[in-house]
Amino acid sequence: MKALRRQRALADYTLAALARRKVKNLALVGVFSLVVFLLASAMFFASALRHEASAALEGVPDLIVQHLSLGRQGMISEDRIAELESIRGVSKVRGRLWGYYYDRVSGANYTVMVPDGGQMPAPGQVIVGEGIPRARGLDWEGAPLFLSRKQGDLNRFDIAQIYSSDSALLTADLLLMNEADFRAFFSVPEGVYTDIAARVRNANELATIIDKATSLMPDERFVSRDDIARTYMKLFDWREGLMVALGAMAMLAFAIFAADKASGLSAEEAREIGILKAIGWDTRDVIAMKLWEGGLVSVGAFLLGAVAAYAHVFWFGAPLFAPVLKGWAVIYPDFALAPVIDGSQLVTLFLLTVLPYAAATVVPVWRAASADPDAVMR
Amino acid sequence: MISLSDVSKTYNEGRPNEVAALRSVTLDIAREGVTVFMGPSGSGKTTLLSLVGCMARPTTGRITLDGEPVSGLPERFLTELRRVKFGFVFQRFNLIRGLSVLDNVMLPAAPLGEEPKTVQARAMMRLEALGLAEKALMPVEVLSGGETQRAAIARALVNDAPVLIADEPTANLDTALTHRFLDIVAGLRDEGKTVILTSHDPRIIAASAVTAVVEMRDGKVVEVRG
Repeated sequence: MKALRRQRALADYTLAALARRKVKNLALVGVFSLVVFLLASAMFFASALRHEASAALEGVPDLIVQHLSLGRQGMISEDRIAELESIRGVSKVRGRLWGYYYDRVSGANYTVMVPDGGQMPAPGQVIVGEGIPRARGLDWEGAPLFLSRKQGDLNRFDIAQIYSSDSALLTADLLLMNEADFRAFFSVPEGVYTDIAARVRNANELATIIDKATSLMPDERFVSRDDIARTYMKLFDWREGLMVALGAMAMLAFAIFAADKASGLSAEEAREIGILKAIGWDTRDVIAMKLWEGGLVSVGAFLLGAVAAYAHVFWFGAPLFAPVLKGWAVIYPDFALAPVIDGSQLVTLFLLTVLPYAAATVVPVWRAASADPDAVMR
Repeated sequence: MISLSDVSKTYNEGRPNEVAALRSVTLDIAREGVTVFMGPSGSGKTTLLSLVGCMARPTTGRITLDGEPVSGLPERFLTELRRVKFGFVFQRFNLIRGLSVLDNVMLPAAPLGEEPKTVQARAMMRLEALGLAEKALMPVEVLSGGETQRAAIARALVNDAPVLIADEPTANLDTALTHRFLDIVAGLRDEGKTVILTSHDPRIIAASAVTAVVEMRDGKVVEVRG
């Protein structure tokens, strides 16, 4: 009880001390929060990107077969489905229809797909990703979506549903329609597909299956799940790399800030410590008081920075990092990343900012407080 | 009884700016009296006061408090002594700006872990005795010179320390306030407290409340009267 009252008295004094140096402490909280904001934003962003990557990989087939014509991908014949099914170990072979549509109205590219099972849109209806209604200014389901491939050819689709998914980065520009509508819209004849997807029973046999398939279909290209994973990771890694670079810069700024704090006390602070020591405060009382002070400033600033970073990344779509994300896409600026927080990263950030700051605060105080008060005051 | 035996204090020892502030001082300071260290600036009065009040350690020599050696004690024991045995009034009073008079007076009790109400009552009692009760909640910046000094005395006495140490307490005070301070000192002496002051103010040295005068020059005690 006595120890509790002592801590309360020290905390009271700390609050009064913080209030006394309002401007300085607010500036301190501002700088600290900004550093945490940048670091946490980079961290949340990177973590969300990783989540997008792994969510995207979840639905990826074990093997994709593409037809190459003049070194570029062309439509593949449905005969290949039967050939592929004839290879032992291959299961669930299906042709996929997908492509890109450039929407002149919004200036955005949409990814148009025929869904594989799941919700198949009825004829004349589409299911769209969250970004498309936004790009078109349509914000309710059932609204007509007019798409035109050439002048005078206006196709009406009704938005049956707005697609929401955990992976907004990959589904924001998605437009799902049924097979007949897809073929009609893109003038794709029956009997061909964009590519063929297959599952294999034993992932360890994938290389053997690809060998067999290659000799059976020498004109086709075989892309394994690992190849796709590598591509995705490259796609996300360079973005995450930029975030890490930004984080490193913020960390450096913080290190300079902490080093400056650790380098010493102002004459006024040293004198105050001397007075407190002279009137009977123990070294540990002074350190406890300064820990309270450092703790209130750093934990407060950490929370402020972390909450601001959360809002920045997950509510406002990380406008500071938009140039990194946008790339060529027009539709992406308004997308929202799925809120994913890596707890261990947040704890690491806490340990990397709050603890060094507390240590940086305490070291010079400990030096001053362990000297004779007479020496400190002189 | 506070005794100093062959005490010397050298600042910045071994450096080019080394200063021998005290040289072989041997002195006994009686309990329940008023002792004044007098002498010109640089004579070592404040250094002697710091050593007596356990705010600094002698370079050589021995200091005892009621027969117990204190000069070699680790810092935490010296802090305990400062908290329990001594109350300090600094030359510039050193109240913490931005805090109220009452908060300043309660400050030495903060590490004791006492019930806040008890400490507050004790602080108010001291402020009342020194005529400052009505200014308790005001920030210290608004106090006059005399009031600041009395607030500093109240702070020095809040833990009921038996020894009050004051460095040049009347240096910035006019005659009326100096007499008021001497009345306070006399009152403390009557309460049974020991008061140790530094001063070169003749009004202090001649005051009836003063029981001993230690004259210093160039870091040495040249005469002890009383």
